[in-house]
Formats: sequence, structure tokens, C-alpha cells
Amino acid sequence: MRSKVCWLAILFVIPGLMLGGPAGPVSASDVIKVGAVQPITGRFAFAGGNISAGLKDALMMANEAGGIDGKKIEYIMEDGQYKLDVATAAFKRIMTRDNPLIMYGESTGLGKAMGPEIMNRYKILYSSTSFSGELADAKANPFVFVPGPTYADMFGILLKYIAQEKPGAKVAFFYSDTEFGKDPIPYAREMCKTLKLDLVAEAVAQVGAVDVTSQVLDLKRKNAEYVIFQGFVIAPVATVIKQCRDFGMKTKFMGTFWGTTKMLLDELGPLAEGYMGVNPYNFWWMEDVPMIQKIQTYTKKNYPDVKFRPNSYMQGFATGLIFVECLKRAAKAGDLTGEGLVKALQSIKDMDTGGLTAPLTWKDNKFPVAKIWKANVEKKIFEPASDWMTVE
Amino acid sequence: MRCGDFKESYLEDEKIFQTLFVKFWLVLLAAGLILLPAIANEYILYVANLIGIAIIGAVGLNLLTGCTGQISLGHAAFVGVGGYTTAVLITKVGMPFWFAMPMGGLASAAVGLVIGIPSLRVKGLYLCIATLAAQFILEWIFVHWEAVTHGIRGINVPPPQLGSMVFDTERSFYYITLLLVVVGVGFARNILRTKWGRAFVAIRDRDLAAEMMGINLFRYKLAAFAVSSFYAGIAGGLWVSFIKVVTPEHFPFSLSIEYLAMIIVGGLGSILGSIFGAIFMVVVPEMLNVIASASRDLFPTMGKHFIPMKEVVFGTLIVLFLVFEPHGLAEIWHRIKNFFTLWPFSY
Repeated sequence: MRSKVCWLAILFVIPGLMLGGPAGPVSASDVIKVGAVQPITGRFAFAGGNISAGLKDALMMANEAGGIDGKKIEYIMEDGQYKLDVATAAFKRIMTRDNPLIMYGESTGLGKAMGPEIMNRYKILYSSTSFSGELADAKANPFVFVPGPTYADMFGILLKYIAQEKPGAKVAFFYSDTEFGKDPIPYAREMCKTLKLDLVAEAVAQVGAVDVTSQVLDLKRKNAEYVIFQGFVIAPVATVIKQCRDFGMKTKFMGTFWGTTKMLLDELGPLAEGYMGVNPYNFWWMEDVPMIQKIQTYTKKNYPDVKFRPNSYMQGFATGLIFVECLKRAAKAGDLTGEGLVKALQSIKDMDTGGLTAPLTWKDNKFPVAKIWKANVEKKIFEPASDWMTVE
Repeated sequence: MRCGDFKESYLEDEKIFQTLFVKFWLVLLAAGLILLPAIANEYILYVANLIGIAIIGAVGLNLLTGCTGQISLGHAAFVGVGGYTTAVLITKVGMPFWFAMPMGGLASAAVGLVIGIPSLRVKGLYLCIATLAAQFILEWIFVHWEAVTHGIRGINVPPPQLGSMVFDTERSFYYITLLLVVVGVGFARNILRTKWGRAFVAIRDRDLAAEMMGINLFRYKLAAFAVSSFYAGIAGGLWVSFIKVVTPEHFPFSLSIEYLAMIIVGGLGSILGSIFGAIFMVVVPEMLNVIASASRDLFPTMGKHFIPMKEVVFGTLIVLFLVFEPHGLAEIWHRIKNFFTLWPFSY
């Protein structure tokens, strides 16, 4: 009988707690709530914790500086596991329980899935880890913005750089068979035509692919001078570069935001020679930038164990700065609502982020400005190879 | 005072609502379910909708795997076929949800018929692999048939409409789900009492013997596949209309496994088991999420370790079930019920 009682307890008491649990008091008008669904576990976990920390730190620093009109910002985070169903549930849970003014999401998929409801029902400001072009559409998703350039913009910036360096160069795209990989490709093809670059090959591989020989042979046959990766984080980038070098190819390799991480440089080692990437945020090691100094001081004080923050942290932090700016502007206009925040977002022009990014100007729900970076193999860091570049 | 049920005929034994008590509690349950939206918040209703959709899918799989003994590892793909058919019919043909969803079920049943053909030749593990192949083939089609499925980007699905009423919130959609769950469960419960249901069970227990008794294996095995896929298709159509978007990422192989886990945890071959299993598989991860988030406030430094532990806890629970309760939740339920039926004089 005892085991039966145990089972009964498991089956009924815990769901009961759950039903009773989340329904707390929601009022408290002296706090501004910012909710977030972050990929703390799952495939994207390598970035999730850092993005969350960055976003949280930016909001907490604003609190230390007096908050928004005297109101404190509260950061509410749940794990979405980079799974659409888990993330959607977490999103709805936060919306129901806390009713925040701003939400942050973990993936392109979540933004697209919640898009119609964000617009018609919740009416909250929304941003996410994604640089997908579909999410930066002021008409279809007025409440959703991308905290930097879209992947397409990043391709534009890289292609512009190539066109300047070597007009008419032979370019190839190497992307994954995912939404993340395919997002900028149609735009990039057009951009090649406009810039009169010769798009010689498009190779597709799965994320984490091990055997990429056929794709590499294709690149060799077509004699690609520049290869741009999209939609991967580490594998198979290292394998592709290694095999190309083994074939004696002099190809230059490039990547977008998620391909411009220190993690990749550590993995590539000497293969990273000549590797370039595009990133809208300055890196942790750029100690002459005032905002980076501020972040380092804050980190030293609050997280003494943390010795380094990757660019995913900077992404979260920059998004936090934009959130705070929107809140300040909306509060000043006396319209601290979702609509008020969107108006505030659209009014952002030459916003100073302490050098973390270029001065930010809103353009069709994104901030299309970034720098090209070049790998320094000895120091295992990226160094700027251009000034801030914008795509029209 | 009750001291047991006394039945005089097989007909009585086959009754669904056997006693007055059962009817009483079922009416109470129905009233509770109908009134749930009045007391629950959006999040609870969101979970309730997910449970309903999982129940429909699990009942379908249980008819095939639990009752007919044909193991399928491609159930998620059938859910996907239904989901995509519904989405495409709504967005491209302009068909209302109310017709598109049954069509999704039928399309899925048709695909199920084709996939079911190998079941005539192969059994057990071999059939597992055949259905596994179906899962991957269909998943590949979802990704690469871009003209119809829009590939990896997926399709945005508008919410169902009835006249001026739009079912775009968890609250309103709940009633659609509830209705379909009641109809689906009722139909499955009844099919098991008919010639078809008995044929399914006979095939599961010993297909050779069944054939010798005159059961047409070809017909009934394929019928089981079709009915099961039809349920999956309905679940898929309902799901995509509920979450308003469909992408290939919604129907991974792991979802097939999840459905199998539902019927194993719930109880193979039992409709009630499918319901319990679906509730279990949806509610436990949600509960663990809630506990993980709550514990983060209490032990901030523990959070980093506890959140990834969720999978471990979930896995352990399933193993415990398999070891200590192989007949699933339905069996626990029966034991509890029997205990209370004769309480306090159980001997």
C-alpha cells in the first residue's frame, strides 16, 4: 500500500503544486518586467548562458544607474532548451504569470511562431538571439526587432568587402541545411550580381557533418577564391578549411556572427590564418573601448570567477542596452506600453552604446552596421579589418 | 455498500459505463473539463491543449502498437503529414479548418496504408526499421518539397474560424481540442469492442493463429495502420492550427519516440493508458521546468546544475516505470480503483 501512496503523491500532489505555484501577485507597478526564454540547455547551450548573462547585466547596470524613471527592471528568465515546443510553453508561462513589457526569445523559430500573437494579442517589444531577416520586417512584425544587422546584411557587408578587395572574385557559399543556414542565401545571390562577383558554387552540408569531401572537391574544381560559411558554429568549418588547405587551395574563408567566435579560433588553431568574420559588437579583449571596460569591471565585481565573455554575451548586452534606451524614451513620453516602446525603438538615431557597437540607428526593425574582423592566429583573437560598415 | 460488480452476460462485461458510480464520476469529470477555462489561466490551458493533442496521437499509436502489436517508429511523420496537409489546404486552397483537418487525417491515413504494406511481410524489429525509414523519408520530404511545404521556413497557419468566432486563444481552442479528444477516445474505445478490435488483438497475440481463424491479415493490419495514422493526422492538423505555424522541426524522430514512451508509460493496449501516458509525458517536463525555475530563485548557484538535470529526472522516472510498473499508469489506476471499490472491507 505504501508504494501506492508514493505514486499517488507523485501523480497528484506535484501537479497540484504546479497549478497553485505560478499564480503570484502580478501588480507591483514599481518594477518593469523583462522576460526571456533562453537556450540554457540543448544544442545552443554554448551561447545561451552567455546571452542571458549579457542581457541581465545590461539591465542590472541600468538599475544601478537609477533604473527607468525610478522604477527597477526585473529580469525573468526560463530555459527553452532550443526546442520550439518547450520554448513556446516557457514564453506563454512568462506572459501569463508575469505579463512583462518586453520579451527576449531563443531562436528564429520561436519568433516566427509567436509573431502573430505578439502583434495581435500580447503587444510587447520582442527581440531574440536570431539575426534572421524574416524577423526584421517592420510591416509584418512591428513589435519584433533584430539587435544588429540581419544575416543577409552580414553577407552584404562581407561581399562588399570582397568586391573592394578583389573585383570580380570567385565566391562560394557554404551553408547548412537549416533555416539558420538558408536565411540570407537568396539575398546574397542577388548581392553577388549587383557587386559583379562571380558566384561559382553553393555547397550544402548538415550541421556537424563529418564527411565534406564532395563539397570540398566542388570548391576546388570551381576554384573558389572566397568561401563564406553560414549556419554552422564549429563543425564542419574546421574540416572544410583543413581539407582545402590539404588540397593546396589558397581560398579565403569567412563567416557571419556565429562564425566569428573565439571558440572557433581555438578549434581552428593555425588553420585560422586569414579567416575573417563579421560581427556588429566589439570583443572582450578590446580594452580601449569604454563599454568593454565597464563590462570588465562589472564582471570582476559580480562574477570574480569569469575571466572571459564571448561575443554571444556582447549580443545579449547590446540588446539589453537597446531595451533600456527604448524604456527610457517610452517613459519620457509617458507611454510605457508595447506600442510606446515600438515608437521609442523607431525613434532611435545615433544611439551611443559606449563603443560596444557603432552608433545605432533604427532602420526597418534592425541596426544594419558591423565590422569585418580578421583572425590573429598567435593571439587567438579577432582584430578589426575594417571600420564600421553599413549596408543600404 | 458496494462489494463488487456482478455480471450475468458478456454484453454487460463489455459495457463502457459499467456502474452508476462510473457514470457519476464521468459526469463530474466532464463538467470539470468544460468548466476548466473558467478557472485556469492561459498557461494551464496551453498545457491542457497540448495534452489533448498528445492524447489523440497516443490513442492512435496505441491502436496500432498496443492493440495490433505493430511497432511504429514513424508516428511523428504521420502527425507531420496531417499537419502539413491541413496547413497547405488552409493557406493555399483556402479551405476552412473544419474540412482541412479531416482531410489531413485522411491524407495521413493514406500514407499510413502505404507505409503499412511492409507489415505484411516483416514483424517486430524488422517492422520497426521499416517504419523508421518512413519517418526519415517523410521528414526529408517536409524539408525539401519546398513548393508545397516551404521547406525549413514552414507555413504560418491562420487560426480556425466559425462565423465571426475566431479560435485564436488557448481558451477558445481548448473546446475544439476537448471535443476531438472526446470523439477520438470514444471511437477508439468502441472500435475495440467490435469485430475489428477483436481482430486487432488476435493479430497481436498470434498472427498465425488469427489467420487460421479466418482473420484477413492484409485487411486488418493495413486497417490498423490507416486508423492509427488518421488519428495522428488529426493530432497534427490540430497541433499546427493551435501553434499557428508548421515547420519540419515539429516532427523529429524524437517525437515518435515520445509517442511510444507515452503508450508504454500509460499502458500498452489500453485507451485509458494512452490518456494517462499523454498527460504524464506533457505534464512531467512542464512540472520539472517549473520546479527548475522556482529552485533557481531559492538556490541561485544551483540553477546551473539543476536545469540540465531535468532530462536525467525525466529519464529516471521512465526507467522506474518500466521496472516497477510495466503495465503502465493504467494498471496503477486499476489497482487504486479496485482498492476503493471494496474499501474498507477489501478481503
